[in-house]
Amino acid sequence: MRTLSLIACFVLAPVAVAAGGDIRTYRVHVVAPAEGAAAVTVTATFDSVGERGVAVPVGFPGVTDLTIVDAPAGTVAVPGPVNGQTTVRVTFPAPSAEPTSVTFRFTVPTVFVDTKPAPGERATLPDGSRLLRHTFVNTEALAIGEYRAEFVFPAGSRAHAVRESAPRLRKGEVGPRVRLADLQDGPGARLQVTRLRQGDSASMTVELIPQSRTWAFFAAGALLSVLYLIYFKDLVGKTAA
Amino acid sequence: MAAQVAATSQEDRLHELLDMEKMTLSSKGRAAVGTSERWMRYLGFPGGILVFLLLYHMPASAGLSGAAQAGAACFALALVWWVTEPFPTYVTSLVLMFLLLVTRTAGAKAIMDVLGMEVIWLNLLAFILSAMLVKTRLAKRMSLWLVLRFGHTANWALLAFLILQMALAPLIPATAARCVMTLPLMLVVAAIYGSTEERPNAFGKNLMLLNLAGISVLSSMTMTGSSANLIAVGLIQSMGGHRVYYMDWVRVGAPIAILAMVAMWILGQRALFRIPVEERLPHIAGGLGVVRQKYEAMGPLTLGEKKALGIFGVVLFLWMTDIFHLQWFGVEVTAPFAALIGAVIVLFPRWGVLQWAEADIPWHLLIFSAGAYAGGLALDDTGAAEWAVNALFGGFDLKELPFGVAYTIIMAVMMYSHLLTTSKTVRTMIMLPIIITMSRTLGWDPVSLALPAALCIDWVVGLPISGKPNVVLFSTNQYSVMENFKYGMVTCTIGLGLLVVSAATWFHWIGLTPSFWAVAQ
Repeated sequence: MRTLSLIACFVLAPVAVAAGGDIRTYRVHVVAPAEGAAAVTVTATFDSVGERGVAVPVGFPGVTDLTIVDAPAGTVAVPGPVNGQTTVRVTFPAPSAEPTSVTFRFTVPTVFVDTKPAPGERATLPDGSRLLRHTFVNTEALAIGEYRAEFVFPAGSRAHAVRESAPRLRKGEVGPRVRLADLQDGPGARLQVTRLRQGDSASMTVELIPQSRTWAFFAAGALLSVLYLIYFKDLVGKTAA
Repeated sequence: MAAQVAATSQEDRLHELLDMEKMTLSSKGRAAVGTSERWMRYLGFPGGILVFLLLYHMPASAGLSGAAQAGAACFALALVWWVTEPFPTYVTSLVLMFLLLVTRTAGAKAIMDVLGMEVIWLNLLAFILSAMLVKTRLAKRMSLWLVLRFGHTANWALLAFLILQMALAPLIPATAARCVMTLPLMLVVAAIYGSTEERPNAFGKNLMLLNLAGISVLSSMTMTGSSANLIAVGLIQSMGGHRVYYMDWVRVGAPIAILAMVAMWILGQRALFRIPVEERLPHIAGGLGVVRQKYEAMGPLTLGEKKALGIFGVVLFLWMTDIFHLQWFGVEVTAPFAALIGAVIVLFPRWGVLQWAEADIPWHLLIFSAGAYAGGLALDDTGAAEWAVNALFGGFDLKELPFGVAYTIIMAVMMYSHLLTTSKTVRTMIMLPIIITMSRTLGWDPVSLALPAALCIDWVVGLPISGKPNVVLFSTNQYSVMENFKYGMVTCTIGLGLLVVSAATWFHWIGLTPSFWAVAQ
């Protein structure tokens, strides 16, 4: 048994060096316009990098216009499905035992779910509401230490509610999983998860509504108040006293 | 002849007061008493709507979702209406539930499901058990015996009531029921010691205010002492991830409540409302004789009373031993199910002691609780409570403070915040999620702050509008608003002091709190 362990160590060590270390932090920043393609920026920091390059899962379908924003000179990033999953394959010019970061940008067709009811179906959302949905699955062998995805809402929109978030908070973890916050370039939502191993996923669905509120409550409230003040005036009248 | 008529009339009045079965929890709205209260009621309706509209149309804050903002607006409207009472409180609860739906703060199922929650069931079943006590006259016998046993001097009469409230608190969760049940005895004994509605004296003030404090504070001895306690236990479990068992609560709550009440028993008659020597003995002819006569007329324990004793014994046993249920039965019989089995026996044909029609179930209180709970849950689920925490404590760096200092601040806020609301349920639903979230943020175990804070829930003794028993007892005209405030504040301050001392000593020794001067890493 001991011999087997030693053999395994000798055989697997060069493989580990070739593949590199885990992803220490994984940051996604998405600017979601009201219509059209959304700009996505991913920054991944690896514990170490190997010779063979790594496949980074991105969690968005239809990746186009991929460009590297920041990385060691000579780094190459190629989009493409690997085993049917959308990933970006990053190859570094040289292996390194030091933590190494890469930032790349791409566009995706949309981050909103089409919620228009088919003919004969009942609508599930009121007019003006939209669902922003994101699901990330760590399809690769590299574990992710900390995953954070930030979505900047379109101008004139605000979150009505976080409709879904996963995974559930672990014991001792400070929640909520999805936090609404003032991001650098506007109000948005932040999904944050620690320790995503291969096969683990993180997801969120946020309902967005127009920033302007309906005035129906104002009209109803004002009408009811006036009616009450007229018809219940006897409460403070001389007879009541 | 006139004197004889007066004496007979006085005795008739005493007999009438002692007839507890006539005391029911009315759903009728409380009549506005003074001019200011009538104006408050008149302006409360548009005032609530105004507050709703202001919050609803407030500019969006980055961390606050639309649903959270709408939920806060709905809850604020309900809060204004609960305090000013343009409608009865349960109607406001129904309005709140409707508003939560139309503002899309919560879904229909989430709102409706509240009526099926554990706490509502326990309330319902507790009222059935309470009706059994009244109908079999066991409550009356117990009260009369205690007064006769201890009530020969003012000092001991007050202690008798303290013991009576202490005995009733774990048995009858509804404070209003306990108050209504014992009020006749209070009036009789006050009259015996010369304190009447027309000419209240120091004994009367002590008696009413000690009972007021006793009814409220002693509810914090057990987790079943009030429905708000159970809500707190639920929140600590669901949000804080810590299960609080019956005996966990008793061992921290009972000593503090009992010590505070004993302190008030002494302080009240010796310092706050000093009882002169001439008021320390019964004043009117007959004195405790009337009470004794009533007690003796009850005869030996009836079969119904014995059954009631047995049924309560079973329920109480199940409540107190929940920690062992899994070992004994392979399943845990939770508090509502223990009460449920009690209710089954109570209502059992031939062998039971009550028929359904005889159970005085105050549905209006249950509807009020359900609405308040739905609103409170919406505040939590939408993130409004967390947003409020950040807004409230954003300017403070509580993380730098030692645990004991943060604990003292939080307990003080929890203890005195009852002056701002009329509902323990509402206060629990607002404060507990905030405290649990805050303790997590500060790096403390949620239960270390949430359980001691939950012990403060029932200390609603500062104002005549702070709780239902307060309203009932204030109507006896034995004390003024300021006297109520003075007595209440002293009670709360003693409670706060005891909580702080406990945190520095035995709460820490039993592992509930960290070291008093510990700083979170």
